[in-house]
Amino acid sequence: MEAGGGQMSQCSSSQYNQYIPMQAEIVDIDVESPNTYLISLKLLDDVEFCYAPGQFVMVSVMGLGECPISITSTPTRNMLQLCIRRAGKITNGIMDCMIGDVLGIRGPCGNGFPLDEMKKDIIIAGGGSGFATLRSLINYIVDRRSEFKKVAVAYGARTRQDLYFMQEYKGWQQAGIDVGITVDIGDEKWKGNVGLVTSLLDRFDIYGGSAAICGPSVMINAVAQKLMKERNFDHSDIYVSMERHMKCGVGKCEHCMIGPYHACQDGPVFTYDKLMRLFRNGEG
Amino acid sequence: MMKALLPRNMLIPFLSKISQKMEVIAPVLIQGTPAFCTWTGQDLALEENPLHPPTEFLLPHKETLFRYVQESGRYTFEEEQAVPRLILGIRPCDLRAANVLDRIFEQPPRDHHYLGRRRATLIAVLNCTKPDDGCLCTQFGSGPEAKDEYDLLITEIGPGYLVEAGSPAGILLLSDNPEFFHDATDAHLAEKSDLMKKASEQIKLHSDISLQKMKDRIKRADWESLEKECFNCGGCTFVCPVCHCFNILDLGIPDGERVRCRDTCILSGFSRLAGGANPRKSPGERMKNWYLDKFEYTPQKTGLAGCVGCGRCQKVCMAEIDRWKLEAVK
Repeated sequence: MEAGGGQMSQCSSSQYNQYIPMQAEIVDIDVESPNTYLISLKLLDDVEFCYAPGQFVMVSVMGLGECPISITSTPTRNMLQLCIRRAGKITNGIMDCMIGDVLGIRGPCGNGFPLDEMKKDIIIAGGGSGFATLRSLINYIVDRRSEFKKVAVAYGARTRQDLYFMQEYKGWQQAGIDVGITVDIGDEKWKGNVGLVTSLLDRFDIYGGSAAICGPSVMINAVAQKLMKERNFDHSDIYVSMERHMKCGVGKCEHCMIGPYHACQDGPVFTYDKLMRLFRNGEG
Repeated sequence: MMKALLPRNMLIPFLSKISQKMEVIAPVLIQGTPAFCTWTGQDLALEENPLHPPTEFLLPHKETLFRYVQESGRYTFEEEQAVPRLILGIRPCDLRAANVLDRIFEQPPRDHHYLGRRRATLIAVLNCTKPDDGCLCTQFGSGPEAKDEYDLLITEIGPGYLVEAGSPAGILLLSDNPEFFHDATDAHLAEKSDLMKKASEQIKLHSDISLQKMKDRIKRADWESLEKECFNCGGCTFVCPVCHCFNILDLGIPDGERVRCRDTCILSGFSRLAGGANPRKSPGERMKNWYLDKFEYTPQKTGLAGCVGCGRCQKVCMAEIDRWKLEAVK
């Protein structure tokens, strides 16, 4: 007998076996950029699925495997949307799916943004595909605008074609959100900003408050440092959503370790001061 | 606590009877090397602790998390039930390792697979009366004698095996099988404590090794020179009874199984993201992370050190890195 041992029995519930996914049907697919789709899902299992902006789900394509994908929709709109970028075997598998196909979903996993702590002036800064998780927060704020104060969004992508959610910027502006967009490489059709996300911060009329950042680590550091040095932000008010390789999503497999923390359980949202302490000691 | 003496010639008959009710795992010789495996009447190899730890029967190298069966685009899932088992011959250090794993997998969200298997497993510990040269259990308080958290505790003494029950299931193992046992006397207990005292003295005292000293050493270690010595083979992590990193993958389309298999944080792909970024790119960073997990993070999370002093990592290291001084000893 193998070390695992045991006999198979059919099970209908994933109540005890946290590795068994729920099933979700793809009900809509939008193309955000040539290599990025926005997929809308409907859960087939009769369960209540409550989540918070900043949380993620483990998405399965049976036979290919499972990977963590941040939730891109807001819980205020009673839907589940995921933004998938072609990056590896499983994301390729998800993007090859069609409307009506079934994906496995486990979660929601992780902590999400601490919304109660953020009900002050907010700067939301995203770079590249990291912006997908911030869209959940932005649309949450749009739907509950009166609970938040001044809100500004800074978003940068590589080129005009790589920008996500372009049809939504106008709605965010109508909700009184200051939206700044920039690209690294401009072209003749692009009339907006060309440059780094940090260059957008200068135009915002926000001094102190809280910040939500997600993107490449160089961008995270540059934005956080600028907010602290020039905008009077406290490092404990800067919330960073970290990207890590994950396998189990329940804090056991150790793939997503950041120092003593697991990004899947203690994160993916960490305060900047917590991360700084770890990175300074060469941990993480 | 219930104690009894199992005469030497009764061990095999006792195991034979138990094996009718549950799977018995015990160390036997496989091609001359002791290893834990399913016992089917072979001679036992209780002299030395096998290189591969018995904790692999709690967290197997490969196990099925569930099977998926597709029908008209929808899936049904089947899951495996743990079978009752007795693991005989676990050493006190490996018992401590199992305790660390228990605490890790009990932390919410609890790991259904590990805990299911753990609940179905009885543990019969064998006290170490003849410690190995590389043993360091006394530095971490994990041996050579087990104090608690076992079902049966076996000590080899002159007339046979002194067997002590440490749990209701252990008491039942003794009381349901009285035909194999004699009463244990004070002389047997005195012999045991004498043997254990001698065993403790045999284990070399390493006054420079302790949890705190390792923490300090990690901070000071020259990881850049250590990484040049390390072959990044991950051997140390695969023989470590506490290491539990795993990968999850699917085998089979459209029907198949999702399995978890052992992985190791020493390998470069362990933390690499789909886009290619890697938070622990250099071997030195990964080595440091492994040590920090053993001596800093695991104690924080479980109250127990992530090292039990079994000495296996030192035995398998091809680069002969001195794990305790954090120096290359070539």
